[in-house]
Amino acid sequence: MKTRVPFREGLFEESEGKGALVGAKCKQCGQVVFPRREPCLNCLGQDLESVKLSRRGKLYTYTIVHMPSEHYQPPYAVGWIELPEGIRVFGQIRGWQEHPLKVGMAMEVSFEKLWEEEEREVMGYVFRPSTNGGGA
Amino acid sequence: MREVAIIGVGSTVMGKFPEMLPYELGARAARAAIEDAGISPRDLQFAYCANLYGGMVIGQAVLAEVGITDIELTNIENACTGGATGIRKAWWDIASGLYDIGIAIGVESITTSAMAGKLITPARGDITGELGMNMVARFALAQRRYMDTFDVSLEQIAKVSVKNHHNGCLNPYSQYKKEVTIEEIINSRSICEPITLLQCCPSTDGAAAAVLVSGELAKKYTSQPVIIAASVLKSGDYSFRWEDMTFSDMTSKCTREAYEMAGLGPEDINICELHDAFAVNELLHYPELGFCKRGEEVRLLEDGVTELGGKLPVNASGGLLSKGHPVSASGVAQIAEIVWQLRGQAGERQVANAKVGLAHVIGGEVTGLESGAVSVHILKV
Repeated sequence: MKTRVPFREGLFEESEGKGALVGAKCKQCGQVVFPRREPCLNCLGQDLESVKLSRRGKLYTYTIVHMPSEHYQPPYAVGWIELPEGIRVFGQIRGWQEHPLKVGMAMEVSFEKLWEEEEREVMGYVFRPSTNGGGA
Repeated sequence: MREVAIIGVGSTVMGKFPEMLPYELGARAARAAIEDAGISPRDLQFAYCANLYGGMVIGQAVLAEVGITDIELTNIENACTGGATGIRKAWWDIASGLYDIGIAIGVESITTSAMAGKLITPARGDITGELGMNMVARFALAQRRYMDTFDVSLEQIAKVSVKNHHNGCLNPYSQYKKEVTIEEIINSRSICEPITLLQCCPSTDGAAAAVLVSGELAKKYTSQPVIIAASVLKSGDYSFRWEDMTFSDMTSKCTREAYEMAGLGPEDINICELHDAFAVNELLHYPELGFCKRGEEVRLLEDGVTELGGKLPVNASGGLLSKGHPVSASGVAQIAEIVWQLRGQAGERQVANAKVGLAHVIGGEVTGLESGAVSVHILKV
Protein backbone atom coordinates (compact mmCIF):
# COMPACT_ATOMS: atom_id res chain seq x y z
CA MET A 1 0.00 0.00 0.00
CA LYS A 2 1.18 3.48 -0.82
CA THR A 3 2.23 5.89 1.90
CA ARG A 4 -0.29 8.63 2.54
CA VAL A 5 1.11 12.13 2.92
CA PRO A 6 -0.69 15.48 3.26
CA PHE A 7 -0.09 17.90 0.36
CA ARG A 8 1.01 20.39 2.99
CA GLU A 9 1.78 19.93 6.69
CA GLY A 10 -0.30 21.62 9.36
CA LEU A 11 -3.47 22.41 7.43
CA PHE A 12 -5.70 19.65 8.77
CA GLU A 13 -5.97 16.75 11.17
CA GLU A 14 -7.52 13.57 9.87
CA SER A 15 -7.57 9.86 10.22
CA GLU A 16 -9.67 7.34 8.30
CA GLY A 17 -11.22 10.19 6.31
CA LYS A 18 -12.56 11.99 9.40
CA GLY A 19 -11.08 15.18 10.71
CA ALA A 20 -11.06 18.95 10.48
CA LEU A 21 -9.24 21.87 8.96
CA VAL A 22 -7.06 23.58 11.54
CA GLY A 23 -6.95 27.35 11.68
CA ALA A 24 -5.92 29.88 14.29
CA LYS A 25 -8.03 32.27 16.33
CA CYS A 26 -6.59 35.44 17.78
CA LYS A 27 -7.48 35.90 21.45
CA GLN A 28 -7.03 39.66 21.09
CA CYS A 29 -9.20 40.53 18.05
CA GLY A 30 -11.08 37.28 17.49
CA GLN A 31 -10.03 36.92 13.84
CA VAL A 32 -9.90 33.36 12.56
CA VAL A 33 -7.40 32.60 9.83
CA PHE A 34 -6.72 29.52 7.75
CA PRO A 35 -4.03 28.29 7.47
CA ARG A 36 -2.57 29.03 10.90
CA ARG A 37 -0.26 32.00 11.10
CA GLU A 38 1.57 33.75 13.93
CA PRO A 39 1.32 36.55 14.82
CA CYS A 40 -2.33 37.35 14.03
CA LEU A 41 -2.49 38.60 10.44
CA ASN A 42 -5.24 41.02 11.40
CA CYS A 43 -3.92 42.78 14.54
CA LEU A 44 -0.42 41.27 14.92
CA GLY A 45 -1.47 39.92 18.34
CA GLN A 46 0.80 37.17 19.67
CA ASP A 47 -1.78 35.17 21.58
CA LEU A 48 -3.42 32.69 19.23
CA GLU A 49 -5.09 29.34 19.70
CA SER A 50 -5.46 26.54 17.22
CA VAL A 51 -9.07 25.94 16.30
CA LYS A 52 -10.72 23.17 14.38
CA LEU A 53 -12.86 24.78 11.72
CA SER A 54 -16.49 23.88 11.13
CA ARG A 55 -16.91 20.85 8.92
CA ARG A 56 -19.85 22.47 7.16
CA GLY A 57 -20.25 25.67 5.26
CA LYS A 58 -22.02 27.23 2.31
CA LEU A 59 -20.95 27.27 -1.29
CA TYR A 60 -19.99 30.90 -1.95
CA THR A 61 -19.15 30.23 -5.60
CA TYR A 62 -17.81 27.47 -7.84
CA THR A 63 -16.50 26.70 -11.31
CA ILE A 64 -16.03 23.59 -13.40
CA VAL A 65 -12.55 23.68 -14.93
CA HIS A 66 -12.14 22.32 -18.46
CA MET A 67 -8.37 22.64 -18.81
CA PRO A 68 -5.78 20.33 -17.25
CA SER A 69 -3.64 21.56 -14.38
CA GLU A 70 -0.48 20.11 -12.90
CA HIS A 71 -2.30 17.55 -10.76
CA TYR A 72 -5.81 17.32 -12.17
CA GLN A 73 -7.44 16.22 -15.37
CA PRO A 74 -10.57 18.05 -16.56
CA PRO A 75 -13.33 18.37 -15.85
CA TYR A 76 -12.86 19.13 -12.18
CA ALA A 77 -14.65 21.54 -9.85
CA VAL A 78 -13.25 24.08 -7.41
CA GLY A 79 -14.96 26.62 -5.23
CA TRP A 80 -14.93 28.89 -2.22
CA ILE A 81 -16.74 27.62 0.85
CA GLU A 82 -17.97 30.14 3.38
CA LEU A 83 -17.56 28.86 6.93
CA PRO A 84 -19.50 30.01 10.00
CA GLU A 85 -16.21 31.38 11.36
CA GLY A 86 -16.55 34.18 8.78
CA ILE A 87 -13.82 33.05 6.42
CA ARG A 88 -13.82 31.43 3.00
CA VAL A 89 -11.76 28.36 2.18
CA PHE A 90 -10.80 27.39 -1.36
CA GLY A 91 -10.85 23.77 -2.39
CA GLN A 92 -11.69 21.07 -4.84
CA ILE A 93 -15.33 20.10 -4.99
CA ARG A 94 -16.23 16.46 -5.45
CA GLY A 95 -19.59 14.84 -6.01
CA TRP A 96 -20.72 17.63 -8.31
CA GLN A 97 -21.81 15.24 -11.06
CA GLU A 98 -24.33 13.59 -8.72
CA HIS A 99 -25.38 16.77 -6.91
CA PRO A 100 -25.52 19.81 -9.23
CA LEU A 101 -23.84 22.78 -7.60
CA LYS A 102 -25.69 25.91 -6.62
CA VAL A 103 -24.43 29.05 -4.92
CA GLY A 104 -25.51 28.96 -1.26
CA MET A 105 -25.88 25.18 -0.97
CA ALA A 106 -24.62 23.35 2.12
CA MET A 107 -21.18 21.77 1.75
CA GLU A 108 -19.11 19.50 3.92
CA VAL A 109 -15.37 19.03 4.17
CA SER A 110 -13.91 15.65 3.35
CA PHE A 111 -10.34 14.36 3.46
CA GLU A 112 -9.39 12.51 0.32
CA LYS A 113 -6.62 11.67 -2.06
CA LEU A 114 -5.72 14.67 -4.26
CA TRP A 115 -3.23 12.96 -6.55
CA GLU A 116 -0.76 10.08 -6.64
CA GLU A 117 2.98 10.17 -6.95
CA GLU A 118 5.23 7.14 -7.46
CA GLU A 119 5.09 5.70 -3.96
CA ARG A 120 2.72 8.14 -2.35
CA GLU A 121 -0.90 9.14 -2.15
CA VAL A 122 -1.08 12.86 -1.61
CA MET A 123 -3.94 13.73 0.74
CA GLY A 124 -5.85 16.98 1.12
CA TYR A 125 -9.22 18.45 1.90
CA VAL A 126 -12.04 18.63 -0.58
CA PHE A 127 -15.64 19.73 -0.22
CA ARG A 128 -18.74 17.76 -1.09
CA PRO A 129 -22.39 18.78 -1.25
CA SER A 130 -23.81 18.05 2.18
CA THR A 131 -26.17 15.13 1.91
CA ASN A 132 -27.92 15.57 5.26
CA GLY A 133 -29.00 19.17 4.71
CA GLY A 134 -28.64 22.19 6.95
CA GLY A 135 -25.84 24.71 7.30
CA ALA A 136 -23.17 24.65 9.95
CA MET B 1 7.13 66.88 -6.06
CA ARG B 2 7.85 67.82 -9.65
CA GLU B 3 5.40 67.42 -12.47
CA VAL B 4 6.16 64.47 -14.75
CA ALA B 5 5.21 64.16 -18.41
CA ILE B 6 5.24 61.42 -21.03
CA ILE B 7 6.84 62.58 -24.29
CA GLY B 8 7.16 59.33 -26.20
CA VAL B 9 5.39 55.98 -26.40
CA GLY B 10 5.83 52.92 -28.55
CA SER B 11 4.40 49.46 -28.91
CA THR B 12 4.79 46.35 -30.98
CA VAL B 13 1.77 44.92 -32.69
CA MET B 14 0.33 42.41 -30.21
CA GLY B 15 0.11 38.78 -31.29
CA LYS B 16 1.91 35.47 -31.34
CA PHE B 17 5.55 35.76 -32.42
CA PRO B 18 7.31 32.44 -31.81
CA GLU B 19 10.24 33.60 -33.97
CA MET B 20 10.94 36.64 -31.80
CA LEU B 21 12.81 36.46 -28.51
CA PRO B 22 11.55 38.65 -25.67
CA TYR B 23 14.43 41.14 -25.91
CA GLU B 24 13.72 41.68 -29.61
CA LEU B 25 10.12 42.60 -28.84
CA GLY B 26 11.26 44.90 -26.03
CA ALA B 27 13.84 46.61 -28.22
CA ARG B 28 11.28 47.24 -30.94
CA ALA B 29 8.96 49.00 -28.47
CA ALA B 30 11.81 50.93 -26.82
CA ARG B 31 13.10 52.19 -30.17
CA ALA B 32 9.59 53.32 -31.14
CA ALA B 33 9.16 55.22 -27.86
CA ILE B 34 12.58 56.87 -28.14
CA GLU B 35 11.88 57.90 -31.72
CA ASP B 36 8.44 59.19 -30.76
CA ALA B 37 10.03 61.25 -27.97
CA GLY B 38 12.59 62.70 -30.36
CA ILE B 39 15.48 61.96 -28.02
CA SER B 40 18.74 60.09 -28.36
CA PRO B 41 18.87 56.76 -26.52
CA ARG B 42 21.92 58.18 -24.75
CA ASP B 43 19.75 60.87 -23.12
CA LEU B 44 18.11 58.25 -20.90
CA GLN B 45 19.32 58.28 -17.29
CA PHE B 46 17.44 55.26 -15.98
CA ALA B 47 15.15 52.45 -17.05
CA TYR B 48 12.62 49.95 -15.74
CA CYS B 49 11.75 46.78 -17.56
CA ALA B 50 8.79 44.65 -16.48
CA ASN B 51 8.65 40.98 -17.40
CA LEU B 52 7.23 37.78 -15.91
CA TYR B 53 8.36 34.80 -18.01
CA GLY B 54 11.43 35.92 -19.94
CA GLY B 55 14.29 35.09 -17.58
CA MET B 56 17.29 36.89 -16.18
CA VAL B 57 18.06 40.63 -16.68
CA ILE B 58 15.83 41.01 -19.67
CA GLY B 59 15.90 44.82 -19.42
CA GLN B 60 19.64 44.79 -19.99
CA ALA B 61 19.19 42.59 -23.07
CA VAL B 62 16.47 44.92 -24.40
CA LEU B 63 18.41 48.12 -23.87
CA ALA B 64 21.74 46.75 -25.08
CA GLU B 65 19.98 46.29 -28.45
CA VAL B 66 18.98 49.93 -28.43
CA GLY B 67 22.39 51.32 -27.44
CA ILE B 68 21.75 51.97 -23.78
CA THR B 69 24.18 50.62 -21.17
CA ASP B 70 25.79 51.79 -17.94
CA ILE B 71 22.67 53.37 -16.40
CA GLU B 72 20.46 52.55 -13.42
CA LEU B 73 18.28 49.74 -14.76
CA THR B 74 15.77 47.77 -12.70
CA ASN B 75 13.89 44.69 -13.81
CA ILE B 76 10.38 44.36 -12.39
CA GLU B 77 8.07 41.42 -11.79
CA ASN B 78 4.56 42.29 -10.56
CA ALA B 79 2.42 39.95 -12.69
CA CYS B 80 -0.14 41.80 -14.82
CA THR B 81 0.67 44.99 -12.92
CA GLY B 82 4.37 44.84 -13.82
CA GLY B 83 4.23 47.37 -16.64
CA ALA B 84 2.24 49.88 -14.62
CA THR B 85 4.69 49.36 -11.74
CA GLY B 86 7.50 50.46 -14.06
CA ILE B 87 5.56 53.61 -15.01
CA ARG B 88 4.93 54.31 -11.33
CA LYS B 89 8.60 53.86 -10.40
CA ALA B 90 9.78 55.99 -13.32
CA TRP B 91 7.25 58.66 -12.34
CA TRP B 92 8.63 58.73 -8.79
CA ASP B 93 12.28 58.81 -9.87
CA ILE B 94 11.53 62.01 -11.80
CA ALA B 95 8.91 63.53 -9.45
CA SER B 96 11.37 63.19 -6.58
CA GLY B 97 14.09 65.03 -8.49
CA LEU B 98 16.45 62.05 -8.63
CA TYR B 99 16.49 61.92 -12.45
CA ASP B 100 15.11 64.00 -15.30
CA ILE B 101 14.48 61.46 -18.05
CA GLY B 102 13.94 57.72 -18.19
CA ILE B 103 12.11 54.89 -19.89
CA ALA B 104 9.63 52.26 -18.69
CA ILE B 105 9.30 49.12 -20.77
CA GLY B 106 7.04 46.11 -20.45
CA VAL B 107 7.75 42.95 -22.41
CA GLU B 108 6.28 39.46 -22.55
CA SER B 109 6.75 36.54 -24.86
CA ILE B 110 4.42 33.77 -23.78
CA THR B 111 4.96 31.71 -26.95
CA THR B 112 8.70 31.33 -26.35
CA SER B 113 8.23 30.65 -22.61
CA ALA B 114 7.44 27.49 -20.67
CA MET B 115 3.90 28.87 -20.23
CA ALA B 116 3.02 28.46 -23.91
CA GLY B 117 -0.42 26.84 -24.25
CA LYS B 118 -0.97 26.63 -20.49
CA LEU B 119 -3.28 28.37 -18.09
CA ILE B 120 -1.42 30.80 -15.88
CA THR B 121 -1.31 29.48 -12.32
CA PRO B 122 -0.04 30.82 -8.99
CA ALA B 123 3.66 30.32 -8.14
CA ARG B 124 4.82 26.76 -7.52
CA GLY B 125 3.79 25.46 -4.09
CA ASP B 126 1.02 28.02 -3.59
CA ILE B 127 -1.81 26.31 -1.69
CA THR B 128 -4.70 27.29 -3.94
CA GLY B 129 -2.51 26.47 -6.94
CA GLU B 130 -1.91 22.95 -5.59
CA LEU B 131 -5.68 22.60 -5.20
CA GLY B 132 -6.37 23.47 -8.85
CA MET B 133 -6.57 27.28 -9.02
CA ASN B 134 -5.67 29.13 -12.20
CA MET B 135 -6.27 32.67 -13.40
CA VAL B 136 -9.36 31.79 -15.44
CA ALA B 137 -10.89 29.90 -12.51
CA ARG B 138 -10.17 32.87 -10.26
CA PHE B 139 -12.45 35.09 -12.33
CA ALA B 140 -14.90 32.35 -13.30
CA LEU B 141 -15.56 32.07 -9.56
CA ALA B 142 -16.28 35.80 -9.35
CA GLN B 143 -18.45 35.60 -12.48
CA ARG B 144 -20.58 32.73 -11.13
CA ARG B 145 -21.19 34.65 -7.91
CA TYR B 146 -21.91 37.87 -9.80
CA MET B 147 -24.38 36.25 -12.20
CA ASP B 148 -26.22 34.51 -9.38
CA THR B 149 -26.38 37.37 -6.88
CA PHE B 150 -26.96 40.24 -9.34
CA ASP B 151 -29.14 38.28 -11.79
CA VAL B 152 -26.87 39.03 -14.74
CA SER B 153 -26.97 36.83 -17.86
CA LEU B 154 -24.13 35.42 -19.89
CA GLU B 155 -25.49 37.34 -22.89
CA GLN B 156 -25.04 40.60 -20.99
CA ILE B 157 -21.47 39.74 -20.00
CA ALA B 158 -20.67 38.68 -23.58
CA LYS B 159 -21.56 42.18 -24.76
CA VAL B 160 -18.28 43.42 -23.24
CA SER B 161 -16.40 41.07 -25.51
CA VAL B 162 -18.48 42.12 -28.54
CA LYS B 163 -17.68 45.79 -27.84
CA ASN B 164 -13.96 45.30 -27.26
CA HIS B 165 -13.50 43.04 -30.27
CA HIS B 166 -15.21 45.71 -32.36
CA ASN B 167 -12.76 48.29 -31.04
CA GLY B 168 -9.85 45.95 -31.73
CA CYS B 169 -10.83 45.90 -35.42
CA LEU B 170 -9.99 49.62 -35.50
CA ASN B 171 -6.58 49.27 -33.84
CA PRO B 172 -3.54 48.32 -35.95
CA TYR B 173 -1.77 47.14 -32.76
CA SER B 174 -4.54 44.66 -31.88
CA GLN B 175 -3.93 40.91 -31.83
CA TYR B 176 -7.50 40.25 -33.00
CA LYS B 177 -9.13 42.30 -35.70
CA LYS B 178 -12.35 40.36 -35.92
CA GLU B 179 -15.90 41.10 -34.84
CA VAL B 180 -17.52 38.46 -32.65
CA THR B 181 -21.18 37.87 -31.87
CA ILE B 182 -22.86 37.05 -28.57
CA GLU B 183 -23.71 33.59 -29.94
CA GLU B 184 -20.10 32.90 -30.96
CA ILE B 185 -18.88 33.97 -27.52
CA ILE B 186 -21.36 31.85 -25.59
CA ASN B 187 -20.90 28.83 -27.86
CA SER B 188 -17.11 28.96 -27.85
CA ARG B 189 -15.22 26.30 -25.88
CA SER B 190 -15.79 26.31 -22.12
CA ILE B 191 -12.58 27.04 -20.18
CA CYS B 192 -13.80 27.45 -16.60
CA GLU B 193 -17.60 27.64 -16.39
CA PRO B 194 -19.21 30.07 -17.06
CA ILE B 195 -16.19 31.56 -18.85
CA THR B 196 -15.85 30.46 -22.47
CA LEU B 197 -12.86 31.03 -24.73
CA LEU B 198 -14.12 34.27 -26.27
CA GLN B 199 -14.71 35.79 -22.85
CA CYS B 200 -10.95 35.43 -22.21
CA CYS B 201 -8.04 37.59 -23.26
CA PRO B 202 -5.72 35.67 -25.58
CA SER B 203 -2.21 34.52 -24.80
CA THR B 204 -0.11 37.36 -26.21
CA ASP B 205 3.45 38.30 -27.07
CA GLY B 206 4.28 41.96 -27.22
CA ALA B 207 6.01 44.95 -25.70
CA ALA B 208 5.38 48.61 -25.03
CA ALA B 209 7.50 51.49 -23.76
CA ALA B 210 7.13 55.06 -22.54
CA VAL B 211 9.64 57.86 -22.12
CA LEU B 212 9.05 60.02 -19.03
CA VAL B 213 10.61 63.40 -18.32
CA SER B 214 10.21 66.24 -15.84
CA GLY B 215 7.48 68.70 -16.76
CA GLU B 216 10.14 71.38 -17.22
CA LEU B 217 12.22 69.28 -19.62
CA ALA B 218 9.14 68.19 -21.57
CA LYS B 219 8.82 71.66 -23.08
CA LYS B 220 12.20 71.22 -24.74
CA TYR B 221 11.02 68.17 -26.67
CA THR B 222 7.35 68.66 -27.41
CA SER B 223 4.48 71.08 -27.52
CA GLN B 224 2.17 68.18 -26.66
CA PRO B 225 3.32 66.67 -23.35
CA VAL B 226 0.94 64.31 -21.56
CA ILE B 227 1.00 64.97 -17.82
CA ILE B 228 0.86 62.17 -15.26
CA ALA B 229 -1.83 63.55 -12.94
CA ALA B 230 -1.88 60.48 -10.70
CA SER B 231 0.18 57.35 -10.24
CA VAL B 232 -0.85 54.83 -7.59
CA LEU B 233 0.28 51.27 -6.93
CA LYS B 234 -0.97 49.02 -4.12
CA SER B 235 -0.48 45.43 -3.02
CA GLY B 236 -3.43 43.25 -2.14
CA ASP B 237 -5.02 43.00 1.30
CA TYR B 238 -5.83 39.78 3.16
CA SER B 239 -8.80 37.97 1.71
CA PHE B 240 -10.35 37.50 5.17
CA ARG B 241 -10.98 41.27 5.04
CA TRP B 242 -12.45 41.01 1.54
CA GLU B 243 -16.18 41.10 1.96
CA ASP B 244 -17.42 40.53 -1.58
CA MET B 245 -15.44 38.61 -4.18
CA THR B 246 -17.32 40.40 -6.96
CA PHE B 247 -16.07 43.83 -5.84
CA SER B 248 -12.34 44.55 -5.87
CA ASP B 249 -11.54 46.52 -2.71
CA MET B 250 -8.00 46.96 -4.01
CA THR B 251 -9.16 48.64 -7.20
CA SER B 252 -11.65 50.79 -5.34
CA LYS B 253 -9.07 52.02 -2.81
CA CYS B 254 -6.40 52.56 -5.45
CA THR B 255 -8.81 54.54 -7.63
CA ARG B 256 -9.92 56.78 -4.76
CA GLU B 257 -6.29 57.61 -4.05
CA ALA B 258 -5.66 58.34 -7.72
CA TYR B 259 -8.61 60.73 -7.97
CA GLU B 260 -7.45 62.49 -4.83
CA MET B 261 -3.90 62.81 -6.14
CA ALA B 262 -5.12 64.17 -9.49
CA GLY B 263 -7.71 66.47 -7.93
CA LEU B 264 -10.17 64.94 -10.37
CA GLY B 265 -13.18 62.65 -10.18
CA PRO B 266 -14.77 59.96 -12.32
CA GLU B 267 -16.90 62.64 -14.03
CA ASP B 268 -13.69 64.11 -15.48
CA ILE B 269 -12.55 60.92 -17.23
CA ASN B 270 -12.99 60.96 -21.02
CA ILE B 271 -11.37 57.62 -21.79
CA CYS B 272 -10.42 54.52 -19.82
CA GLU B 273 -8.30 51.46 -20.44
CA LEU B 274 -9.09 48.89 -17.77
CA HIS B 275 -8.11 45.33 -16.97
CA ASP B 276 -10.58 43.28 -19.02
CA ALA B 277 -8.65 40.02 -18.82
CA PHE B 278 -12.10 38.43 -18.87
CA ALA B 279 -15.31 40.03 -20.12
CA VAL B 280 -16.89 40.04 -16.67
CA ASN B 281 -13.99 42.02 -15.23
CA GLU B 282 -14.85 45.10 -17.24
CA LEU B 283 -18.37 45.20 -15.78
CA LEU B 284 -17.13 44.59 -12.25
CA HIS B 285 -14.55 47.37 -12.54
CA TYR B 286 -17.04 50.09 -13.62
CA PRO B 287 -18.34 50.78 -10.09
CA GLU B 288 -14.89 50.24 -8.54
CA LEU B 289 -13.56 53.01 -10.79
CA GLY B 290 -16.48 55.24 -9.82
CA PHE B 291 -18.14 55.16 -13.24
CA CYS B 292 -21.48 54.01 -11.83
CA LYS B 293 -23.11 52.68 -8.71
CA ARG B 294 -22.98 49.01 -7.87
CA GLY B 295 -25.62 47.13 -9.82
CA GLU B 296 -25.74 49.71 -12.64
CA GLU B 297 -22.77 48.33 -14.60
CA VAL B 298 -24.80 46.34 -17.13
CA ARG B 299 -26.94 49.39 -17.84
CA LEU B 300 -23.82 51.50 -18.40
CA LEU B 301 -22.69 48.99 -21.01
CA GLU B 302 -26.09 48.46 -22.63
CA ASP B 303 -26.77 52.21 -22.82
CA GLY B 304 -23.60 52.54 -24.91
CA VAL B 305 -21.86 54.87 -22.45
CA THR B 306 -18.63 52.85 -22.62
CA GLU B 307 -18.55 52.16 -26.35
CA LEU B 308 -16.75 54.29 -28.93
CA GLY B 309 -18.97 57.31 -29.45
CA GLY B 310 -20.33 57.03 -25.90
CA LYS B 311 -19.67 59.47 -23.08
CA LEU B 312 -16.90 57.38 -21.53
CA PRO B 313 -15.35 54.91 -23.97
CA VAL B 314 -13.72 52.00 -22.15
CA ASN B 315 -11.02 49.93 -23.84
CA ALA B 316 -11.14 51.80 -27.13
CA SER B 317 -7.92 49.96 -27.98
CA GLY B 318 -9.76 46.63 -27.94
CA GLY B 319 -8.64 46.05 -24.36
CA LEU B 320 -6.93 42.91 -23.21
CA LEU B 321 -9.77 40.89 -24.77
CA SER B 322 -8.99 41.90 -28.34
CA LYS B 323 -5.76 43.92 -28.40
CA GLY B 324 -4.25 41.12 -26.31
CA HIS B 325 -2.65 40.71 -22.90
CA PRO B 326 1.15 40.48 -22.97
CA VAL B 327 1.15 40.20 -19.17
CA SER B 328 3.91 42.58 -18.03
CA ALA B 329 3.58 44.80 -21.09
CA SER B 330 -0.14 45.48 -20.70
CA GLY B 331 0.23 48.28 -18.15
CA VAL B 332 2.59 50.18 -20.46
CA ALA B 333 0.51 49.41 -23.56
CA GLN B 334 -2.50 51.00 -21.84
CA ILE B 335 -0.44 54.13 -21.15
CA ALA B 336 0.64 54.22 -24.80
CA GLU B 337 -2.99 53.99 -25.92
CA ILE B 338 -4.08 56.82 -23.63
CA VAL B 339 -1.19 59.02 -24.78
CA TRP B 340 -2.19 58.47 -28.42
CA GLN B 341 -5.82 59.24 -27.57
CA LEU B 342 -4.97 62.42 -25.67
CA ARG B 343 -2.76 63.60 -28.53
CA GLY B 344 -5.46 62.83 -31.08
CA GLN B 345 -3.33 60.19 -32.82
CA ALA B 346 -5.57 57.15 -32.31
CA GLY B 347 -6.82 56.91 -35.88
CA GLU B 348 -10.14 55.19 -36.45
CA ARG B 349 -10.64 54.51 -32.75
CA GLN B 350 -10.00 58.14 -31.75
CA VAL B 351 -12.19 59.44 -28.93
CA ALA B 352 -13.16 63.03 -29.74
CA ASN B 353 -11.71 65.74 -27.49
CA ALA B 354 -10.23 63.35 -24.92
CA LYS B 355 -8.42 65.40 -22.27
CA VAL B 356 -8.21 63.03 -19.32
CA GLY B 357 -7.62 59.28 -19.40
CA LEU B 358 -7.48 56.57 -16.75
CA ALA B 359 -5.52 53.30 -16.92
CA HIS B 360 -6.13 50.40 -14.56
CA VAL B 361 -4.42 47.03 -14.19
CA ILE B 362 -4.65 44.34 -11.53
CA GLY B 363 -3.03 40.95 -11.26
CA GLY B 364 -1.17 38.21 -9.52
CA GLU B 365 -2.71 35.36 -7.56
CA VAL B 366 -1.43 34.22 -4.19
CA THR B 367 -3.14 32.32 -1.38
CA GLY B 368 -4.56 34.56 1.32
CA LEU B 369 -4.72 37.86 -0.58
CA GLU B 370 -7.41 39.45 -2.73
CA SER B 371 -4.90 39.71 -5.56
CA GLY B 372 -1.24 40.60 -6.04
CA ALA B 373 -1.11 44.21 -7.11
CA VAL B 374 -3.23 46.96 -8.63
CA SER B 375 -2.31 50.22 -10.27
CA VAL B 376 -4.23 53.25 -11.49
CA HIS B 377 -2.76 56.08 -13.56
CA ILE B 378 -4.53 59.25 -14.64
CA LEU B 379 -3.08 61.14 -17.59
CA LYS B 380 -4.13 64.56 -18.86
CA VAL B 381 -3.33 67.17 -21.47
